[in-house]
Amino acid sequence: MALASHRKKGYSRQNAYLWFIAPAVLAIFAVIVFPWVYTLWMSLHDWQIGGKSEFVGIENFVKLATDARFLSTIPRTLYFTLLSVLLPVVLGVFAAEVFHQKFPLRGLVRGIYIAPMMATPVAIALVFTMMFHPQLGVLNYFLTLVGIPKSLWVYSADTVIPTLALVEVWQWTPLVMLIVLGALASLPTEPYESALIDGANQWQMFRYITFPLILPFLMIAVIIRTIDALKSFDIIYVISQGGPGTASETINIFLYLQAFSFLRIGHASAVVVVFFVIILALAIILLVARERLRWNR
Amino acid sequence: MSEKLTRRDFLKRAALLGAGVTGTAILNACAPTPEPTKAPAPTAVPAQPTKAPEPTKAPAPTTAPAPTKAPAPTTAPTAPAVVKTPGDAFSWQRFKGEKIEALLIKNTQGDIMAQNIKEFQDLTGITVGVDQPAEQQQRQKLAVEFASGATSFDVVYYSFHVQKRLFGKNKWVMDVRDYLKDPTMTAPEFDWNDFSEAGKAWATEPDGRIDALPNKIDYCNLYCNKELFDAKGVALPKTYDEMVAAAQKLHDPSKNVFGFVGRGLKNANTMLWAWMLLGWDIDVIDSKLNLNTTGPEAVECSKMYQNLMKNYAPPGVGGFNWNEAQSAFALGQAAMWMDGVGFAAPLEDAKSSKVKGKVAYVVQPKGPKAQWAGMTGDGMGISSFSKKQGAAWYFSMWAASKSILAKSFAAGSGSQARNSVYTNAEALKSLTVPTAWVDTVVASGKIGRAALPIIVPVTEFRDIFGVALNNMIGGADAATELKKATDEFKPILEKSEKA
Amino acid sequence: MESVNSARQAEISYRLKKWLGRIALLFSVILVVSPAIFVFFWMLSLSLKYEIDNIAYPPVFIPDPPTFDNYAKIFRESNYVLYGYNSVIVSGAATLIALLVGVPAAYGIAKGKAQGLGMLIMVARITPGLSYLIPLFMLFRFIGISGSLLALTISHLVITIPMVVWVMISFFEDMHPELEEAALVDGCNIWQAFYRVSMPIARPGIAVAAILAFIQSWNNFLFGVVIAGRETRTLPVAVFNAMTFEQLSWGPVAAAALVVTLPSLLLTIFVQRDIVTGLAAGSVKG
Repeated sequence: MALASHRKKGYSRQNAYLWFIAPAVLAIFAVIVFPWVYTLWMSLHDWQIGGKSEFVGIENFVKLATDARFLSTIPRTLYFTLLSVLLPVVLGVFAAEVFHQKFPLRGLVRGIYIAPMMATPVAIALVFTMMFHPQLGVLNYFLTLVGIPKSLWVYSADTVIPTLALVEVWQWTPLVMLIVLGALASLPTEPYESALIDGANQWQMFRYITFPLILPFLMIAVIIRTIDALKSFDIIYVISQGGPGTASETINIFLYLQAFSFLRIGHASAVVVVFFVIILALAIILLVARERLRWNR
Repeated sequence: MSEKLTRRDFLKRAALLGAGVTGTAILNACAPTPEPTKAPAPTAVPAQPTKAPEPTKAPAPTTAPAPTKAPAPTTAPTAPAVVKTPGDAFSWQRFKGEKIEALLIKNTQGDIMAQNIKEFQDLTGITVGVDQPAEQQQRQKLAVEFASGATSFDVVYYSFHVQKRLFGKNKWVMDVRDYLKDPTMTAPEFDWNDFSEAGKAWATEPDGRIDALPNKIDYCNLYCNKELFDAKGVALPKTYDEMVAAAQKLHDPSKNVFGFVGRGLKNANTMLWAWMLLGWDIDVIDSKLNLNTTGPEAVECSKMYQNLMKNYAPPGVGGFNWNEAQSAFALGQAAMWMDGVGFAAPLEDAKSSKVKGKVAYVVQPKGPKAQWAGMTGDGMGISSFSKKQGAAWYFSMWAASKSILAKSFAAGSGSQARNSVYTNAEALKSLTVPTAWVDTVVASGKIGRAALPIIVPVTEFRDIFGVALNNMIGGADAATELKKATDEFKPILEKSEKA
Repeated sequence: MESVNSARQAEISYRLKKWLGRIALLFSVILVVSPAIFVFFWMLSLSLKYEIDNIAYPPVFIPDPPTFDNYAKIFRESNYVLYGYNSVIVSGAATLIALLVGVPAAYGIAKGKAQGLGMLIMVARITPGLSYLIPLFMLFRFIGISGSLLALTISHLVITIPMVVWVMISFFEDMHPELEEAALVDGCNIWQAFYRVSMPIARPGIAVAAILAFIQSWNNFLFGVVIAGRETRTLPVAVFNAMTFEQLSWGPVAAAALVVTLPSLLLTIFVQRDIVTGLAAGSVKG
């Protein structure tokens, strides 16, 4: 009896919560679901702006599957993503360790440190473009000061992706730092005390105590970073526009080119669908990996 | 008969249009329309197949008087009375009180219009909202808005060498022939015949429609650093061979001096390459829409481009657009720079240049087969979707008026579509660039020729061949790259023409 | 004697270690923040120099004499006050709406376990922004609001709603349910429990969500390029107005870049404490 009423109450409460989400559902349907449906529909059409739209079924996808230029954007995007995830994670953990210490003006310094992730990417990208100039750029000047030969940065097919990733790293390491900083703040102190008594050094403490404890947080950072790095657009668009040649043409840049330079909306929509599947697949892999990790502990 | 046939026929003849009066040009898909009143029948084209330029002819504003002469200035209203009823005399105040939107580009030409907009508003009583986005953003905005069937602007500044075919084919910009014919709509001082033949031809569609008022017609030229040339006693190049030889002689990377610089960035580089190809006397795409991109000429031209850019240009040139090339030249790091004439003003400004007074403006050198100066063109069109086309027409007329173009000319904004600016004493006096530059522009005008094909998928063309050229700078084989790009582009072109 | 000596030695070595530690920390701090400082410094430096110094090599670091020409030029040629106003309106409204809609939604999802909507939000978060652009543009055309601030605000909801919901879900999930249960037992209805109990506790999370959503929206460039009109342009789009075809414009571009990014930088320095405490309180446990 009591159980039944409890269940009933639980059910009605469940219903009441629906009212909390109703406005969001409405908004999401209007601005998010509608574009999805539209895109999916358009991906089955051959439509170039200014021309006629024609239903072609999966032809756009078939074309993509054999388009060498499109296919080459996939490993390139993954390479860029890998660099833009790994480096911020390593550097972010280091920075978090630094900001976890107490020192004068810490608040201000921390504010300056996280400023890059708040700065307007387009604006930052323009400044970096000037810094990367092979003959006049300030970065090459620094390299010559320390005796390293000048780099071509974004002006060479070999270095363009790592260089663009560098900007991404500059901008997004603070986010990883913040996440890890939150994790560090939540750590218990006992294991460190006993480790100190056992005579463990700094590295050992990090390796055997801190790292396992912050690992779940790092996984979050990795997931967020992976998704955002895959979608990275502003920086590449402004700095290299996918060049030289197609050396930095990621999926997103290719998509932009199809949609807004060539105005091939049908084709571009198909790219969106494929791109979306790739992001989703990676996100799921990472989420599963995270669950595994949780389970193992 | 089908429209295509007539058009082709037309193109063929248009291509034969040799030495015009001034600003002679061969255009891929343009019909010559000397008089706005008459729909130009193909027979109106001179049958003389003189493809060769006629460099002897002076570029003075000697255009033959058109049969339909604009009303004499005396008919202009003495008092600015508002003429409401059309059919009377022309009045600038006719559209008083209207408000229009003008979409220009962030360039010197647009700046001059924006700076003088009060003059237009006072003259006409029309309020103008002027917008000047950067070129790339503007082009995208245009295409998307036009395609969606409504535009936020009434009048638009666009590039013939990029958008003419797309706009013309879709009839996105309105035919202004009726306005040009109508003495109540065309200002007496306007003088259509003052426009260069090249400009008029370029603004005209194959079927005779006039889609835009030509505004700026630019030519490719070779900027040379006189100081570097003199230091090694090298003469300014007159042919491609001399240009390559000079690049080799002046190239001295140990002193941070490079023989040559130009656009290497994908898309932008296609422009430079297409200009160069004119020296072999062929267009990248001919009037029958055949791709001339795999023949021996194209290969030879590409090899020259590759040689210059790979061996004598600054490292990283594969990522250079005009601005990086310009910085290199402005700092005295490049002996030669091949690009449009419109870049002269900043080079002659001590605030942004170290080569002020040291620049020689050399007409695009003679190739193995011919000498042409690659040409680009911009104009002002009226949106077909605009509800204020009359006011928009007034704006385009004013924007291409003698005084505005003279001001742009004086500010160094490249060469203008009107002949009269070159003899405008005031403009010549306040010119911010040396008079030697004017001589080069005038000389180029006589051998001007459109380089980029007048097709719809210009952007795809520039992109695909841009990648090929970029690969060549990286060392790839020219013939192979050209073949690959041609195979990729051909179906796109065919599809666009079928649609 | 001996033991005093060794004690002193220990003392010295302890102090030495402490000093070394401090120096290492100082060095690490400098190492960590210098890239950020340098880029912003360089931006400022470029914006205060004449073009000839901007393209000089070796580079000129300290402008001598500094010039404000670049700022004068960009303010003369573009209406940055208007663009700034547009940015504030669009980002402000989009953030506010996202909070109004998103916070209750996140609560509902977390408590009512509406996993479907949760997934939808996640998927929305991972969808590339570009893919929303064309359909939304067509939609705005169709209903006739294209180019308006309203259209731009609606498009920015695509950024702000998933951001707010996503940050808030984990916040509400982590919250101890006892307090609410107590409130419910005391006779509050669900709304009151949410409004009186859960909201105040979640305040740090709401602050973070609002800040992140606002800044993401502020920095968005793409929607502005395509959707905004001449008078509704936002600041990031206006940066490109500083580039003139055929002119060298490193100085004006740097000046414009600084003007555009300055508000978010100042905001960051002021609210960094909120961000840190908010994130530490668990908003990204996912």
